Amino acid sequence: MNEFLDMGGYGKYLWPAFALGFGIVVLNLVLALNSLTSAKQEAKRRLEMSQ
Amino acid sequence: MKTTPLAAARLVAMRDLRLAFRKPSQVIQPLMFFMIVATLFPLTLTPEMSRLRDAAPGVLWIGALLSSLLALEFLFRDDAVDGTLEQFALSGQSLTWMLFAKTCTHWMLTGLPLALSAPIAAAALGVSVGAMVGVVASLALGSFAMSLVGAIGAGLTLGARRGGVLLSLLTLPLAVPILIFGARATQLAITGGDIAPPMYLLGAIAVLGVTLAPLAAAAAVRIGLE
Amino acid sequence: MATWTWFHRLASPPHVYAFARRWTPWFGGFAALAMGAALYGGLVLAPEDYQQKDAFRMVYVHAPTAWLSLMIYTTMAVAAAVGLIWRMKVAHAAAAACAPVGAWFTVAALGTGMLWGKPMWGAYWVWDPRLTAELVLLFLYFGYMGLRAGIEDPVKADKASAVLAVVGVINVPIIKFSVEWWNSLHQTATVMQMGKPKMDFDMLWPLLLMFLAFALYFVAVLLIRLRAELLRRERNASWVREVLA
Repeated sequence: MNEFLDMGGYGKYLWPAFALGFGIVVLNLVLALNSLTSAKQEAKRRLEMSQ
Repeated sequence: MKTTPLAAARLVAMRDLRLAFRKPSQVIQPLMFFMIVATLFPLTLTPEMSRLRDAAPGVLWIGALLSSLLALEFLFRDDAVDGTLEQFALSGQSLTWMLFAKTCTHWMLTGLPLALSAPIAAAALGVSVGAMVGVVASLALGSFAMSLVGAIGAGLTLGARRGGVLLSLLTLPLAVPILIFGARATQLAITGGDIAPPMYLLGAIAVLGVTLAPLAAAAAVRIGLE
Repeated sequence: MATWTWFHRLASPPHVYAFARRWTPWFGGFAALAMGAALYGGLVLAPEDYQQKDAFRMVYVHAPTAWLSLMIYTTMAVAAAVGLIWRMKVAHAAAAACAPVGAWFTVAALGTGMLWGKPMWGAYWVWDPRLTAELVLLFLYFGYMGLRAGIEDPVKADKASAVLAVVGVINVPIIKFSVEWWNSLHQTATVMQMGKPKMDFDMLWPLLLMFLAFALYFVAVLLIRLRAELLRRERNASWVREVLA
């Protein structure tokens, strides 16, 4: 297991790189879902106001 | 009277040149800016001529780029403000050709004078007299390409808030190839090498710009005028 | 005619919204599976590279992000062009949805590239043509988003940014060429090419799978953002009322 984490000495670059890359993957999913939620809320508010 | 696109373009060009003679500050200011910027670099780097000569292509080109961005604001602004641009668009003549004409005269009034006066700045940066032809040629062709590319950004930012900064942000990435090939040509001129390869590449960009940029600029202006 | 119905549906916001809602979980689910499998294949199964040893494994995160950053820009430009030519609101909405995702993945490409560069060449930043071109691409994204933000009228913003996207996408190959040309002039002793190791099949298949995974993931995220854009643009249309009920 330690060997896996160490990655031949490159672990301290490799794991942050994966964390960054996949972190941004997760982040974009979260941002997209937030954008959708707030768009729905705004639309609801607009519809309520126009009624 | 039906005029050909070329005739309409020539009329626009003549008009722009006439107007420019009445307001010489628009021509002189970007030039002064270029000179000042070129002066600032030695102050930030070193007074050593040999080191400055190494940095000269970068200094000249960054100065030309910044000056060009400043001058681009004048390309369409006055005509947009007083409604002339709208008249051009509605006139039934080719807006593409008219904007191409405007871009050409703009270059004759900004980029060309800059290229011709670059030897002054270049000499101050330690460039030898023999290199001056190459320096002028590379800056002339490069600034022409810059005007073409810049016209697109100028058209797009006509209706935008803080258009000046936005214009720079839009134009600079698009200008990267011009900068790379142009600076390389200038560098080769200074070190005494063959400037032909980068000049051909710069020329290719200019040709591409001539064919496509006025079209994009016309589309941009039409969108802005809607 | 069946073909025209399909095209008209593509242009209709409520249809696209329903399509997006239905298919997002599928794209997302398959993306997650593919990512998992590719990660296992790349980090565990693949043998180490002859030259770069285990460091080469960073290709499995760097290459897909770089490829995605470019692919998204192209998608954005195509959507923008479709919006301009056929005046489709949905296409403009799709282009707008692409931009922030593309910018983020450009950042990811730059960051992972820097982390890969440090052990390979001893410095976090090198003016390698790939990294430099990614940086210029980031500026292109910022320009697009800046133009959108700077124009008040949403219809004008759509069209102007569409022109910019099309001009940009034409420029991207030119920029790449010029940056590579510039870099080749100043070749240092160590060849600075973003490590594309020679890959045998065991190393290649996880990479290809990862590309597929990222592509599926992008479609999922795009569909979510597209839904948000359509809701914001459609204001008080009756289909919005139904969707929110």
